[in-house]
Amino acid sequence: MEFVDLLMLGFGEAMSPANLGFCLIGALLGTLIGVLPGIGPTATIAVLLPITFFLPPLAGIIMLAGIYYGAQYGGSTTAILVNLPGEASSVVTALDGYQMARQGRAGAALAIAALGSFFAGTVATFAIAIAGPTLSSFALSFGPAEYVSLMLFGLLAATILASGPVLKAIGMILFGLLLGMVGTDAETGAERLTFGALELFDGIDFIVIAIGVFGFAEIITNLERSGSEGVGVAPLTRLWPSREDFRASWGAVLRGTCVGTFLGLLPGGGATLASFSAYSLEKKVSRHPRKFGTGVPEGVAAPEAANNAAAQSSFIPLLTLGIPSNNMMAMMLSAFMIHGITPGPSVLTNQPEIFWGLVASMWIGNLLLVVINLPLIGLWVRLLTVPYRLLYPAILLFCCIGVYSMNNRIFDVVLAAGFGLLGYLFRKAKCEPGPLLLGFVLGPLLEANLRRTMLITQGDPSIFVERPISLVMLLATVVLLGLMILPSFRKTREEAFQEDEG
Amino acid sequence: MAAPDARMGNRPDLLTAALFLGIGVLGLVMSGPLEFGSLASMGPGFMPRLVCVLLVGVGLAVGLSALRSPSEVIEAIRVRPLLVITVAIVGFAFAATHLGFVLASLWLIIAGSLADPGGRWRTTLLLAAGLTLFGALVFVYGLGVQVPLWPV
Repeated sequence: MEFVDLLMLGFGEAMSPANLGFCLIGALLGTLIGVLPGIGPTATIAVLLPITFFLPPLAGIIMLAGIYYGAQYGGSTTAILVNLPGEASSVVTALDGYQMARQGRAGAALAIAALGSFFAGTVATFAIAIAGPTLSSFALSFGPAEYVSLMLFGLLAATILASGPVLKAIGMILFGLLLGMVGTDAETGAERLTFGALELFDGIDFIVIAIGVFGFAEIITNLERSGSEGVGVAPLTRLWPSREDFRASWGAVLRGTCVGTFLGLLPGGGATLASFSAYSLEKKVSRHPRKFGTGVPEGVAAPEAANNAAAQSSFIPLLTLGIPSNNMMAMMLSAFMIHGITPGPSVLTNQPEIFWGLVASMWIGNLLLVVINLPLIGLWVRLLTVPYRLLYPAILLFCCIGVYSMNNRIFDVVLAAGFGLLGYLFRKAKCEPGPLLLGFVLGPLLEANLRRTMLITQGDPSIFVERPISLVMLLATVVLLGLMILPSFRKTREEAFQEDEG
Repeated sequence: MAAPDARMGNRPDLLTAALFLGIGVLGLVMSGPLEFGSLASMGPGFMPRLVCVLLVGVGLAVGLSALRSPSEVIEAIRVRPLLVITVAIVGFAFAATHLGFVLASLWLIIAGSLADPGGRWRTTLLLAAGLTLFGALVFVYGLGVQVPLWPV
């Protein structure tokens, strides 16, 4: 059994004391930022990305992945105990979770969330292990034309599945593409859009944009909303759920896991979309939909399972095709790049220890989270009482050091401050900054593959429809575009995002 | 409070349109001298111009529909955090090269703390000292970030 051998290889890598340690650090850090409102996982990973420079590749990636799924756990803790989702994907968990806590069932809600997440994480990890090799051998047959079509589809699908107005998201992607072109043109050596600044000849670093737009702009926006101190914490009770709780939630966990695993695969379908969708599905299949929002265990189990499953399964497109499906995965892509690994089909064949090591570490990390987090809940909750006034200077310092340490130059720090201002303006204009990162990361890949394709065919674009895989992707893109224009679809899409938000 | 004027116009969308149009036009101007090339051999200016034209298009579409939609105001902009944080960061950048990490970090945290006026001086100074020590130990000694600690 080759599959078992590979899985053993992965566990061997992930169980080495150092990697286990970084997995633990990542999961704990992730929980921490999930608990603390006002710091998103995107900003945290941006800050920590330069630090992983100093680690071996697998260790660095394991730690960053741990932060990502750890944040899903931490976010649910505060959503349940203080009705304060530390993270967007826990917004729906707060609806029923906090009600359960007010009825004295906080412990049960937390345990359901943790166990449901662990189950979902296990399933999604297996999905990666099974789908990975198949998809990447499929992807090996991709030429540049297929990649162009795939990226077009991915970019467009990401905007449609993401919340917010589609046109604005497309604009943000275009801006990201443009930012990705700054620097020396790879093929002709011409310098592009650099304002003549020597520091921009190598292009803009991902970190500079990410920390500016997510770190600095987030701090400024948070400071505008004052008076977030003094939260009332629901009392903690016994942790173990009752038998009825178990009976009510196991179906919800199963359905949430399926929804999450599937939505995580789609471009743009990250953890947030998954938890919203799982909650509405649960409400639809439930025999007592009216009770949702009053503290039913299903309302906690389904979204928590779904967001964790999606967090894991969104690694599949990145690891097998090299295409990030949301801005978190764009971060992971640049983390891989920093370590000289280009994610995609070749990683599986050339560096199987990276792929399988990461997969195994995800499962271990999920287990660690359940084991360490339930006893530590008291500690996490106390952290919530730290006022933002003491927190943001620390974030500010880490952001600055992070940006500086990329290239050891102050120019990057000033540039990041500029992106902070820009990010702030975009927030005021109600534009979500996520798609910008996706465009920035995919831009150079898209351009290089498009040029290559056109060079091969000597300018004949018909190759895109002659190659079957490419044709399918383009057709899918056209269908999506068509749906976008249809007013009825637009209406349901808006309703889907508005539902449950209140 | 109701919007000060009852005219049409979604302000956040108009701001979006202005940003997109501005960036698109700026990109077009800057990529002007670059060779456009042909489909078969794209020059360095091909993609930038294509993307900028699309961006201008999106900007126009957002702007035109914003003019016709009901009035919506932009959330109030509070100048204090915006200005203080930006000045603190830029100051850090210049101080780091000329004055060393310790002074730069102290500046960043003390100046940055002014963005939220609620704090007490004692806590701010303690926080600045603690974080600077932590940063120096972890980043400069521990991880070897190349920055002088003191003025050179």
